[in-house]
Amino acid sequence: MTSSAARSSALTHLTLVQASDAVRKGEVTSLSLTEAALDAFVAADRTINASITLDREEALEAAEGLDRLRKAGRLLGVLHGVPLAHKDMYYRSGKLCTCGSKIRGSFRPTYTATAIRRLEDAGSVTVGTLNMAEFAQNPTGHNAHFGDCHNPWHIDYCTGGSSSGSGAAVAARLIYGALGSDTGGSIRLPATMCGITGIKGTQTRVSRFGAMPLSFSADNVGPLARTARDCARLLSVIAGYDPNDPTSSTEPVPDYEAALDGDIRGLVIGVPTNFFVDGVDPEVQEAFDTAMKVLEGRGAKTLRLELPHMDAVNTYASVLSRVEGATVHAQWMREQPQDYSIHLGARLYAGYAIPAVHYLEALSRRGPILRAFGKDVFDKCHIFATPTIRMKVPTRAATDIDAGAPGAAEAFSAISANTRAINYLGLPSVSVPCGIDCDGLPIGFQIQGRPFSEAKILKVADAHQRDTGWHELLPQMVGDTGPSPQ
Amino acid sequence: MAREFEHAVEEQAKLWSGVGPPNSASGEFARGLAEVAKGFERTRGELVFEDEPSSFEAALREIKERAP
Repeated sequence: MTSSAARSSALTHLTLVQASDAVRKGEVTSLSLTEAALDAFVAADRTINASITLDREEALEAAEGLDRLRKAGRLLGVLHGVPLAHKDMYYRSGKLCTCGSKIRGSFRPTYTATAIRRLEDAGSVTVGTLNMAEFAQNPTGHNAHFGDCHNPWHIDYCTGGSSSGSGAAVAARLIYGALGSDTGGSIRLPATMCGITGIKGTQTRVSRFGAMPLSFSADNVGPLARTARDCARLLSVIAGYDPNDPTSSTEPVPDYEAALDGDIRGLVIGVPTNFFVDGVDPEVQEAFDTAMKVLEGRGAKTLRLELPHMDAVNTYASVLSRVEGATVHAQWMREQPQDYSIHLGARLYAGYAIPAVHYLEALSRRGPILRAFGKDVFDKCHIFATPTIRMKVPTRAATDIDAGAPGAAEAFSAISANTRAINYLGLPSVSVPCGIDCDGLPIGFQIQGRPFSEAKILKVADAHQRDTGWHELLPQMVGDTGPSPQ
Repeated sequence: MAREFEHAVEEQAKLWSGVGPPNSASGEFARGLAEVAKGFERTRGELVFEDEPSSFEAALREIKERAP
């Protein structure tokens, strides 16, 4: 490795918070961070196919402008000079936004997503857009139009979806953080399968203005990054009421980073005995149990409990996004069904036959079931934790519906069983790496709390990362994985 | 039962939305609705007269995290 390449590698291996702090102190320039990120994408994309567009000249120009501002003693915000890249479904005025699809292959929106604007107002540099499942509608990362995104831990395996490029790019140390979106697990699944951290906030916590619509009941905007602290910083920037999205909450946004003090003494963690552990892989279970022991070692207590209404939650969760997705895609499904990938066209198609009375039953039971969780779960424990997915990371071949892989449709549903249930409940949820399976792929667990308890679940995620090193392991394509983290 | 769903989906999608089966995998996803229907069968009786969708936003506020 040349000295220049070694320096670039050292820069891209920083966490988002480290990179941000280094710019603020004048230890590195935004230009050097941005060049390093762009070079890393160019070098790695042949292997993992994480990006869709890279805006090199514009990004470098923005970085130089931010460096001039810093020299003049002015910092825009807590992300000053930090390069980011985002799932290709966030509108930027005049910029190509494919939504991972052929249908929107030349779409250029006329306005910019609130989340993107807030990140850039806080000083971030947008270097490009990232691969994703077509219209954010698969849990694996397959994409028939731009090519599958490949897991940097092993390219034959799924990245998780739908925020596949966000997961792979952060894990491969190409970028410090990325927006994903989460309707049924699309932040937490790639976070888990790629060995990084990802959070979806409480439903309504982050504005969805300018984010590609899929399911208005369950869509969430959120970040993927290396650490809980990185996610806390990104969430602090994008969360909060937005008049352009009347469904966004007016709840105050606390200082998420300030909550990360490692002190979880007395915290009661619910560990479900039903649904979330049905058919769980023994390696996943072992990694999850070890994660709970780590948290107990910091003074938390675990409480095994049965969660209410989970059969109904699973049923209701399976129809919301299917019906709402089928609705917003109806015109294209009539006029150009051949332009969808096989699996997405087939998935949308079934949504047209789900009776409206069942869809409305699912919506109408959401409040009462959430109240039951308040009483039967959160009156007994502060948070609850589960494996993010019950199985080990599957291969792309085994889950390739378009190629006719047997059982692939069932696998799609099984992958997101634990995550989409949380979307139905609208609870905040963060996925945290907690192990490596026998195939060398990451394992993760997810932490849920009461509505608007993002600070608390990030605090627990950070506490876990203070005592483990799973989030610091490098995929083999990036470098040696080093010693065991525990 | 699953086959009945395949035919029912084809009829309903065409009749109500003008959408036909887009590809060869459509039948498998349509048959998968049989399990969803069984799930709804198990929830019968749980919906009460006053339940309605806006109760979700109310519940988010009602059980939210409170400052210590």
